[in-house]
Amino acid sequence: MSRTDRLRQGYSESAEALRATAEVLLHSVLLLILASVPLSAHRLDEYLQAARIGIDPDRVQIELDLTPGVDVARTVVAEVDRNRNHAVDADEAQTYAARVARDVGLELDGRLLVLHEVSRHFPAVVDVLKGEGTIRLLWTARAPGLAPGTHRLVYRNDHHADIGAYLANALVPASARVAVTAQRRDVGQHQIAIEYELR
Amino acid sequence: MKTLDDSGRAKLQFPFDGLQKTRWSNLPTGIFERKGLRMGDLSAAQRAAVTDLLTAALSRDGYRKVTEIIGGDEALHKVNGGPPGGGPPGGNRVIFGEDEYYLAFLGPPSTTSPWMLQFGGHHLAINLTMMGSQNSMTPSLPATQPAKYTVEGREIRPLGKENDKAFALINALEASQRSQAILAYKVSDLVLGPGHDGETIQPEGIRASALTPAQQAMLLDLIHEWVGIVTDAFAAPRMAEITATLPQTWFAWSGPTTNGSMAYFRIQGPTLVIEYAPQRSLDHIHTIYRDPTNDYGAKFVKP
Repeated sequence: MSRTDRLRQGYSESAEALRATAEVLLHSVLLLILASVPLSAHRLDEYLQAARIGIDPDRVQIELDLTPGVDVARTVVAEVDRNRNHAVDADEAQTYAARVARDVGLELDGRLLVLHEVSRHFPAVVDVLKGEGTIRLLWTARAPGLAPGTHRLVYRNDHHADIGAYLANALVPASARVAVTAQRRDVGQHQIAIEYELR
Repeated sequence: MKTLDDSGRAKLQFPFDGLQKTRWSNLPTGIFERKGLRMGDLSAAQRAAVTDLLTAALSRDGYRKVTEIIGGDEALHKVNGGPPGGGPPGGNRVIFGEDEYYLAFLGPPSTTSPWMLQFGGHHLAINLTMMGSQNSMTPSLPATQPAKYTVEGREIRPLGKENDKAFALINALEASQRSQAILAYKVSDLVLGPGHDGETIQPEGIRASALTPAQQAMLLDLIHEWVGIVTDAFAAPRMAEITATLPQTWFAWSGPTTNGSMAYFRIQGPTLVIEYAPQRSLDHIHTIYRDPTNDYGAKFVKP
């Protein structure tokens, strides 16, 4: 019998025992010694804001996902759903997206870049209130005529700094002409400076 | 499938290409709606058939991990989630527990055509795509809360080995290596969690080519905690692939390095992304396992 066959046979024999163990495990939880298990906390009191930054030779693209936790969702919904009809209409979405854009800064080699909104997605209010809804904003900023060489892009997000938790990452560039050489962030990831080579 | 009636089979079976493929989450029922065969709706014989399926698809340790994750959720159910329970404002009641796990087949099971076995619930998503001998268990999401609990005097840590092996590795690095591996910023969540299919972020940390052979072996052993969830015959070629590209694989760490502290880590290579992210608590861990080149079997499933 090969080693593989022996392993398989051993596995087969042990599967029944494993299943019995699993059943004991699953049906013995009443006996759990748990001092206290908090209600499953999926970032309840924070406003997660995750940015992914794509760099092309002549433009920068920012995708920002904003997910309020359950405990702060009412605050965010109140800011978005200003007429309080439990739905987000186009004007309300535009207003909130513009507010977020004002809180976001983008600089390339020390020059401010202008963000142009490409798309926005607002989930149903009920989903946001459940802590499941993610607002998705996509912007592009033109950076034409860049010379080959080293460049430095700085992204900063100060939206809802009172409750925000931030992530900021450069995507692997789609163009072979762009190579990210360094990413530097502050501790809280409000800001990321991305150095890259343009060939 | 033979244990099910037509209604059950209809709940189990989905088209291979469709919305169900990406309908997975770390979130519990009440916040996230899953479709498929709900474990709580099955008879004892049907549940036993699901167990048989999982023991065939997963390794011994993978099956242990899955059942312990579910056991943790059952603990949440007993402590927090029983009726009438709480819930988010304006939404449905959050429900925990072993009944709230779902099985789905995408495409009919086949030895020649692609199909996918999807099993998941709160803190668990197993997405196993197969075509003949080829397979991909990515993206998958093993997570846990609580991270440690006790059953009949026995301590259960569903993701304990992941934690301990990672701390062992970071502490096996020389100071100069550690300064490369440790990120100077806080990572508060998964970067490439649910909803981030097809994204590849710029790798950071220390390259495995800068590790000693012993440290590389520790890194591979850590990676195996995710790769080895699936049955050994499927895991072996995947480990070979990862080993072949190990020099281009990165290890990044954020947080303290004393085991028992809250720390995030990421392993990223040409065909691999693993993230481990405590959720502001040592008792609540999310992880993700991806292959940016082969999520949902993209390499062998051509449109």
